[in-house]
Amino acid sequence: MMRLDHGIERGRRIQIILDGERVDVFEGETLAAAMIEQSSAFRRDSNGMARGMFCNMGTCGECTVTLLPGGQRVRACLVPAQVGMDVTRD
Amino acid sequence: MTDHYDVAIVGGGPAGQAAALTLDDLKLKTVVIDEQPQAGGQILRQPPQSFRIPGWMEDRTYAPLVELLRRFEARTSIHWIGSHSVIGLRREPDGLFALTICSPDGLRSITAARVLIAAGCQDLAVPLPGWTLPGVYSAGGMQALLKAQRIVPGEQIVLAGTHPLQLLIAAQLVEAGGGVAAVLFSQPHGTMLKAGIRNSLRAFDRLSTAFPAVRALATLRKHGVKVLYNAPIQAICGTDRVAAVQHSGGEIACDAVGLCYGFVSQSSLPRMMSAKMRRAGPAGGWATLCDEWMQSSIQGLYVAGETTGVAGANAALASGNIAGFGIGAELGAISRDEAARRVARHRANRRSLLRFARLLDEIADPRPFFPALRDDTLVCRCEDVAFAQIGPVLDGRSANAVKLVTRCGMGLCQGRNCEPTLLRLLDNPNDPGFTARFPARPVPISDLAT
Repeated sequence: MMRLDHGIERGRRIQIILDGERVDVFEGETLAAAMIEQSSAFRRDSNGMARGMFCNMGTCGECTVTLLPGGQRVRACLVPAQVGMDVTRD
Repeated sequence: MTDHYDVAIVGGGPAGQAAALTLDDLKLKTVVIDEQPQAGGQILRQPPQSFRIPGWMEDRTYAPLVELLRRFEARTSIHWIGSHSVIGLRREPDGLFALTICSPDGLRSITAARVLIAAGCQDLAVPLPGWTLPGVYSAGGMQALLKAQRIVPGEQIVLAGTHPLQLLIAAQLVEAGGGVAAVLFSQPHGTMLKAGIRNSLRAFDRLSTAFPAVRALATLRKHGVKVLYNAPIQAICGTDRVAAVQHSGGEIACDAVGLCYGFVSQSSLPRMMSAKMRRAGPAGGWATLCDEWMQSSIQGLYVAGETTGVAGANAALASGNIAGFGIGAELGAISRDEAARRVARHRANRRSLLRFARLLDEIADPRPFFPALRDDTLVCRCEDVAFAQIGPVLDGRSANAVKLVTRCGMGLCQGRNCEPTLLRLLDNPNDPGFTARFPARPVPISDLAT
């Protein structure tokens, strides 16, 4: 994965919690973008196979995550990262 | 208290923006709802406001669309509701449309006298062995990562499929500093050329639209990117992530794959309203039928852009203008004669763009090139339904029946990915596909219960 940096200013560095770990991300980038920087694999399917994001436009649901503590299920490709977010992929 | 509007527009891409500006000029109270935080649609998927990206989408191909977007964003009298999905659309007994919209914060309702659905399209999802490995993306999704997040999802990327857009995406990736290992076209070069020549007369007035592909080829040549024709992708290999692609002529090591077989309309809302649909182009999917003012078979329900058949952003822009004047005339904000005068140039423009779109459909026709499925190839990604479970139950069944028997189409995407594949396997031109039901997007039961 590669965040391009040439001539680009991103938002400020913030931390979110992803599966219990503190992760540095840029404010405003999508949760999916932040997750993909960690690994292209997001979950295991019912056959135990690794799976990642597919469509990146809110259609496929492959990047669905849970926001804590409220438990909302959201598509990570549609939701901007904000300070204090606690995200779990389970 | 339910917010009420003269017109509710679903989708903030070029069609929705153009219609909203027209309706706002006509002093009609207009709201635009989109799943993205900011307007632009997929074609101009915007970076977060906290980003500064000099030269964003400055290629002249995008200039009219960027100009439209800036005008739209400056027009504060148009009500914008970003980060919301329209999950329900119905007609109330009083004739108004009621839209149920949802965000992570919950559901709410709005009402409108007229509705315009300009909900865009998605990449055609094409199953093949290995396509569920992490690192395999729809090509449009990969492009959106680059446009809006400035992320390149690999260092050795392969783009594969039948649609010429993959040339542009590959060129944008290498120009941004990404590494592209190869672009694989399933079809022979000659097939593409022949379709181009056969249609050169009807495409003549739109040659400029083809120039970006020519420039992209030059860019790829400069960066030493291989473009292979007659090289259909057959499988994607890897254990926990993509490691290589196999095509008819060999294997290429890679760490990401973008699949590019064309695009299908988003159709859930018009189908939920039982609007008349037609099977769209060779890529599959459903286009909503409409009249010359972009009104669907349901009185008061209008459609524009890719919802009416995938034809590209400029055609979407033209159809949004037509729909805006059509709705304005129906609501009495402009005379029908004056509206007809004002849309004449948009209609002419759209007609010529549709001719070019048909040419592109013919060049990109994926039908002869769908990869062979193995028994363990997942057709339904959401419910992990493999080809081996679907093959034996196809005979004599409808798409709905196969869904009930196998769970194919029952998952989070609600059949958006697997429906074209299943309809292809069923090969029954009269099958209406999955029944579209509320909610159009997954929503927690707790939100519906409150």
